[in-house]
Amino acid sequence: MRDVAIVGTGQTVHARRRKDVSQAGLVREAVDGALADAEMTLDDIDSIVVASGPALFGAVNQPEKWLVDGLGGHMKPVVRITSGGGTGLAGALAAMNQVSSGFADKVLVVAYDKLSEGALQYQISTLYDPFWGREFAVGIMGFASAYWKARIETLGHTEEAAALVSVKNHKNAFRNPYSHVRKEVTVEDVLNSRPLAWPIKLLDVPPISDGACAVILAGDDVVPQVSAKPAWIRGMSYYGEADNAANRFMLQSVPLQLAAQRVYKKAGITNPRRQFDVAELQEPYTNFELSYYEGLGLCRTGEAAALIESGATEMEGDIPCNPSGGCMGANPIGATALIRLAEAALQVTDKAGERQVPGARTALVQAGGGWANLRGVAVVGADKN
Amino acid sequence: MEAKAATPVMMRGEGLGSAPGENPTFAGRIELPYTLTTGRAASVFLAELANHKLVGSRCEKCGDVAVPAQDFCAACGETTAADFEVAPTGALTGFTATPAGVLAMIRLDGADCDLVHKVLDAELADLEVGTRVAARWAASPAGSMLDVEGFEVSDAAAAGEWPQPFEATADVEPVLEQSYDLRLDYDHAFGPYYGTLFDGIATSRRIQGVRCPRCTCVLVPPREYCDACFVRTEEWVDVADTGTIKAFSVIHMEFVGQVREPPYVYAEIVLDGSATRLIHSIGGIDVEEAKERLHTGMKVRAVWKDAEPTGSLEDIDYFEPVFD
Amino acid sequence: MFAKSSNRVAVVASAQTSLKSRWANRQHVDLISEAVSAALKGSGLRIEDVDFVIDSGSDILDGRSISNCGFLGAMGAHHKEESRVEEDGLWAALYGATKIGAGSAEVGLLIGYSKPSEGDVSAFYWSQVEPFYQRPVGFGHEAASGLQAQSYLAEHGHSEEIFADVVAHDWAKAATNPWVETDDVPAADAIRASAVVAAPLRELELARAVDGAVAVVITSQRVAERVCPTPVWITGIGTAIDQHAFARRERGSLPAAKVAAEAAYKRAGIGDPTKLSIAEVSASSAATQLMVLEALGLASPGGAPALYRDGSEIHLNPSGGSLPADPIMATGLVRLSEASLQLADRVDHAPAGATSAVVHGAGGVGMQNHCVFTLEV
Repeated sequence: MRDVAIVGTGQTVHARRRKDVSQAGLVREAVDGALADAEMTLDDIDSIVVASGPALFGAVNQPEKWLVDGLGGHMKPVVRITSGGGTGLAGALAAMNQVSSGFADKVLVVAYDKLSEGALQYQISTLYDPFWGREFAVGIMGFASAYWKARIETLGHTEEAAALVSVKNHKNAFRNPYSHVRKEVTVEDVLNSRPLAWPIKLLDVPPISDGACAVILAGDDVVPQVSAKPAWIRGMSYYGEADNAANRFMLQSVPLQLAAQRVYKKAGITNPRRQFDVAELQEPYTNFELSYYEGLGLCRTGEAAALIESGATEMEGDIPCNPSGGCMGANPIGATALIRLAEAALQVTDKAGERQVPGARTALVQAGGGWANLRGVAVVGADKN
Repeated sequence: MEAKAATPVMMRGEGLGSAPGENPTFAGRIELPYTLTTGRAASVFLAELANHKLVGSRCEKCGDVAVPAQDFCAACGETTAADFEVAPTGALTGFTATPAGVLAMIRLDGADCDLVHKVLDAELADLEVGTRVAARWAASPAGSMLDVEGFEVSDAAAAGEWPQPFEATADVEPVLEQSYDLRLDYDHAFGPYYGTLFDGIATSRRIQGVRCPRCTCVLVPPREYCDACFVRTEEWVDVADTGTIKAFSVIHMEFVGQVREPPYVYAEIVLDGSATRLIHSIGGIDVEEAKERLHTGMKVRAVWKDAEPTGSLEDIDYFEPVFD
Repeated sequence: MFAKSSNRVAVVASAQTSLKSRWANRQHVDLISEAVSAALKGSGLRIEDVDFVIDSGSDILDGRSISNCGFLGAMGAHHKEESRVEEDGLWAALYGATKIGAGSAEVGLLIGYSKPSEGDVSAFYWSQVEPFYQRPVGFGHEAASGLQAQSYLAEHGHSEEIFADVVAHDWAKAATNPWVETDDVPAADAIRASAVVAAPLRELELARAVDGAVAVVITSQRVAERVCPTPVWITGIGTAIDQHAFARRERGSLPAAKVAAEAAYKRAGIGDPTKLSIAEVSASSAATQLMVLEALGLASPGGAPALYRDGSEIHLNPSGGSLPADPIMATGLVRLSEASLQLADRVDHAPAGATSAVVHGAGGVGMQNHCVFTLEV
């Protein structure tokens, strides 16, 4: 049982399509970045966790068995965790347990997807039961949009408020050198953009990207030897919810609240809005960010629209959300959650460059996947618990 | 936005054809198109096949070699690149025959490692470890591993000294991308719960759920265990073909593999008497009007197709809104 | 077991569905919930006591992406911590053991399942092969198995007759295992007469893919001592993967299995694995089973056939192992379940007086990846 820190992070140059690298080369680019950041070589790594989206995203089943050669994984522990959009955080959690238990001292977590290779909405539509609803699916966009509509009616998560999320995250993505979408948008642009699954419109949706992220975790007794600026994982948890349980509550995410509750308790967070200096939230659609504000306790239920309108979640606000630009700058789905964790680590170690929130010491991370039924939360800090 | 395929890829197929008759199955099909990126080394290796060159990579750190060339040394992880060429002749180090044909491990002249490929026009009895083989090149190279159609038994000795340093052929374009189609077929079992539900729909438009004895909720589709209570469901219950809209959206987007023609209203509906969500569409209303007039909690009713029942959700054409 | 943790981890309960070629009238969820409820029954634990669920299954086999996401209710994972390990189920156990070892939970439910009868097993394997060099030539599971068998025989000068002895032994054991459905138990002669499908291997010398599910409950020492009269302690874990290109691997041995076993033995402080009571191992074929036993240090290289010919001190696959019943993603976790039930003396096919076991799971074409657990009571 030991504390675990992030001692290195790396990301690829994300792009709509990376024609210059295979899946293996893409992953390696992120790994090289993390190793350089941690001043390590592949020989220093004890164990590797690969996280990626569904196998059908890449035409290679259990792709870690191919990627292992480019990960220096020969004769090492290598395992793949997959959990839809949140898989990067789910992978980090598996790695954290390996380190915390002492199974390994230094674990490399690498998460990726190369979404340009396939037909994304069809691939995601195969989430649906083949007997039950698959024919109506548009990935999970139809689903996500439907419950946003319900939240518009009940919680006031208006199209205008969601548009503000798009505007903010697009603006922040400009400051992030890893972003591949660099486009200023206005509320009007978002509202007038083409409907894909109304009320979700084109500019409510992140890009489709190729990209990878790597993070190196180490145990507290190893950290002093490898990092002057560790980012401590003060809590991390990942919950599930049966997708079609009786009376499933869809206006707030219960698994998100459960994960937050568990992690906040571990990290001593009682007032999230005040105690967090920055948040990195995985928003597959703009409206999800609004919902997360409430689920994570950054505001009260029904106040998400007011929160974004107040400017509190802007870079200059009291709780900047997604200074990286979130998914709007790049969205390689399998990597996205790990990118959020890596970005939080950069923030609390004062390494976030132009997107740095000055003086940030405690960061909130959120991720998720599936039909909004897989939800993870982490707290990352400059200090241990 | 993704381009829509000229021929939509269906989500149903013919199945595997292996299911016994007394338990009908749902024939599922997943048929996905890909454009794969080959990476540095493979893009060169595959391109040079057209020039009848076989290219390998050598690790500068540990000396390990790979044919075909790889981006990374499998032994130590060091980055590698295509840097030598081996002969199109070699000897077998191992072989097997499967229903797919004879496959062999081939040690090409000049290589310190094996590659796997087909052995053509040979019976197992003709082969032994050490049998000499030579590449048979495809007449029309396509930038694929099958530009070597396979290897054939040949007494030809290696012509020249191998390995040779690799020099890229002038004007050769690396094969950066390959098209690939993945097709997977399934015979999904209905099981007793879906079986009863869909039989009821087929024979009498009857929609049945199960009741959880602990929370008393009715679950549709029916299942053996209540998700929330993890208690065995016991009692079959008929539910109505009317219900309420739990949530809806309007689908405009087109994509590869799409089954329904957009625009349509995607809806999650709670049938009266049940506590779960049924995914379907809402019809009988213009989609633009739907955006204005539909809202969550609104009543809907199933509109059944006139056609011969199929025992699936497709027997319901759509749900229509019931305006007060 | 873990260097930085004093927490011990125990297997306190487990259960399986019947393992058979085709569960024609059951869905995945039906098999999963049956295994989970049976594992909890009589364990002294209720679903409410379970802190987390780690599951192994395959989207490609299931015909469904993120299939765990749709099966959470059947897994008892509603509103619990859950993760999908898309490897053989023994890696789910590794995850669970580290989670309890880390002190972040006390009761974990591990699940493995597959219904290969619904899909195409050979596609499940060839889709694991990189798509540029190996996949286009038709390389897959059968070819890898045949090539391994040929190399094993050649390296050690054995005759292919030895394979039928291995298969006959395991099918005979399986016939005593109520969880394995065996219509006909083939004798060595029948095995030697079955069709050659991956020369030199015959049909019955390859593992038989079966449908089934397994659930295993693991706990902290504190909980184990409270609820379980005979907790089975996990004493060691090791795992290692070989390189991807099959043509460049050792073909007549499994070095990654050896590395995994040595790591597990080191953690457990086991000097001589031949003194262990039980070996429950997974293999893709009779040939790789011999290679696994050698990699685990239970026989010298080329020496495993003697374990079948002359008899062995260590009880080999009392459950029957994976040759008669290979539920793909669940196979290694079935081995863990079996070894635990045998050590706790909760099944009739348990060898008398057994006190320790080595458990092995694998994944990948040609058994690229290996995981080894050691257990004791």
